[in-house]
Amino acid sequence: MEPIRLKTDVLIVGGGLAGSNAAIAAAEAGASVVVMDKGKIERSGDIGGGVDHFLAYLGEGGDWDTRDAFLGYVEKVGRGTNHLSHIESLYCEELPAAIERMARIGIPLTQPDGRFFRTKSMGQPGPYWINFNGKLLKPRLARAVRDLKCKVFSRVMTLDLLSDSGHVAGAVGFHIHSGRFFVIEARATVIATGNTNRIYENPRVNPFNTWLCPYNTGDGQVMALRAGAALTNMEYMRMTLLPKGFAAPGFNALTGMGGRFVNSLGDYYMEKVHPLGNRAPRYAVVLHSLDEIRAGRGPIYIDCRHLSDRDHAHLQTTLGYDKDTLPDYLAQRGEDLRRNPVEITVSEGMQAGPTEVTGSGVKIDGNGASTVPGLFACGDAADHNRCVHGAVTGGYRVGRSAARYARSLHAAPAAAPAVTRETMERFTAPLHRESGYPYEQIEDAVRKVMSEHVGTLRTDLGLRTGMAKLERLESHLDDMKVNDLHELMRSHETRSILAVGRMMAAAALFRTESRNKPYHHRVDYPETDDRNWCGLVVLRRQGEGFDCSFERVVYKSH
Amino acid sequence: MPVSFDYERCDGCGECSAVCPGDVIYMRGEPGRKRPFNRYADECWHCGSCRQDCPQTAIKVVFPPDMLCI
Repeated sequence: MEPIRLKTDVLIVGGGLAGSNAAIAAAEAGASVVVMDKGKIERSGDIGGGVDHFLAYLGEGGDWDTRDAFLGYVEKVGRGTNHLSHIESLYCEELPAAIERMARIGIPLTQPDGRFFRTKSMGQPGPYWINFNGKLLKPRLARAVRDLKCKVFSRVMTLDLLSDSGHVAGAVGFHIHSGRFFVIEARATVIATGNTNRIYENPRVNPFNTWLCPYNTGDGQVMALRAGAALTNMEYMRMTLLPKGFAAPGFNALTGMGGRFVNSLGDYYMEKVHPLGNRAPRYAVVLHSLDEIRAGRGPIYIDCRHLSDRDHAHLQTTLGYDKDTLPDYLAQRGEDLRRNPVEITVSEGMQAGPTEVTGSGVKIDGNGASTVPGLFACGDAADHNRCVHGAVTGGYRVGRSAARYARSLHAAPAAAPAVTRETMERFTAPLHRESGYPYEQIEDAVRKVMSEHVGTLRTDLGLRTGMAKLERLESHLDDMKVNDLHELMRSHETRSILAVGRMMAAAALFRTESRNKPYHHRVDYPETDDRNWCGLVVLRRQGEGFDCSFERVVYKSH
Repeated sequence: MPVSFDYERCDGCGECSAVCPGDVIYMRGEPGRKRPFNRYADECWHCGSCRQDCPQTAIKVVFPPDMLCI
């Protein structure tokens, strides 16, 4: 079967919230656009099933509701993990248009009465969360993408970037139902593949029972690294608090509304250990919840019994906006927020930004350009401006700058390297092996190693031990045997997960301090050392290993 | 099974299979009488996209014991 070959101005790898906004921006700027996604963009990505929150300042509240106050918040909760100038261009400058665009596509951030419903949690100086009904956000966005005549290829997994002499010139992928290869030559390529999940052991048994989308496996970060791009903030292992048996987002809304964390002795522990109590930054809530569990004071719960009828009614309506099936889950489990505290636990770890407002992944500038010509990144795959608000604002910014870059190339970029039969056979080799290990077996081992050696408590020797084990596992990647194209996709995801794990371990080893504990907690360097480590660990490929360097971040308040 | 299909209501349009972000739901049966099934049930994210988009409201989400009882 001959590959499908296409040329385009802009190729978007991953059509989630960030990628779809990037596609719209690039098309509106006059570029031809191709989008490739493992799913169908109407429902793919982290918020495919819906979402209920968007973080913003609006300039209509008090002192906290301004750009300066917001940047102060970013600095406070994400100190040393971001350049504020990038947040200004990727987020602040794009915010008014983003809010307007949401309304234009049919998903206004306002309530039916035209007002914003805003709540406060996670260390915010004021209610930055806008609560809204985003159940149809992806279908509406997808319609906008298709109306702009972008070419959208569903069920196509991107395998690698086409890169030549330091320039990215498109990508190659395969259709997970037909097996047909796609070779897309592009003047600009945007990585929008989200963060990495299924990389740590899951406290709920099934590795697919994850907070963020389990089909996001760091594919884009790994491709970018291979093409020579730098990545930053890879040492942070993000976690949150979730219902015990179901990794459903949506419990943000409970703390925003005033829910209280309580241990099995009846102590409202966050109110004792942190000045912001239950509304402390996420990493602090996770850290202290871990402490409760480790000290044997678990299980832990969230208590909403004290909320007013009006608040409960609002929650009843909106809990299903963030995770459509969460109300079903609570009902089938027999939970009633009005009557009883609901058991929660600390989620699985993942590769993702250390706060809602700082990222982890491909190193980008204020316009989303990576360190390699022709390659851009946005959303959770990039090292700045993640989460829902970051994907909508930054996705658009980056799509537009990719289109401008594509137009600025006077001639087509150097011919993309040929995708030969040998290349395709290498990607499909697991299908043709007589015997081998199922991808799950390798992936389970990766999760075990990551949890034990690159987890919430890290040491120099532990990290080195983990790195050695991951390298050993890597030598078995070519022993995987799959039975069909779906499993072939999963086996390539396993490769990505392992590669991201190696990056996380290398960055964590390099950073000899702790920051945003427990996301990066070095037991041998337990303090945060702003004098030496207020900045980003920049990771690049070097042979089969990595080169780590440090990039200082300077704040005006220094 | 993470989602159950009411084959009395289902008209075999295939929308659930098309939108499933995890490539979990496939169609089987004779042409014109195809019906969805969970081919990779363990990989369901329980996002509810299939249920939301089913034009026949033929899908129910059923949480398994390892999610309800732990």
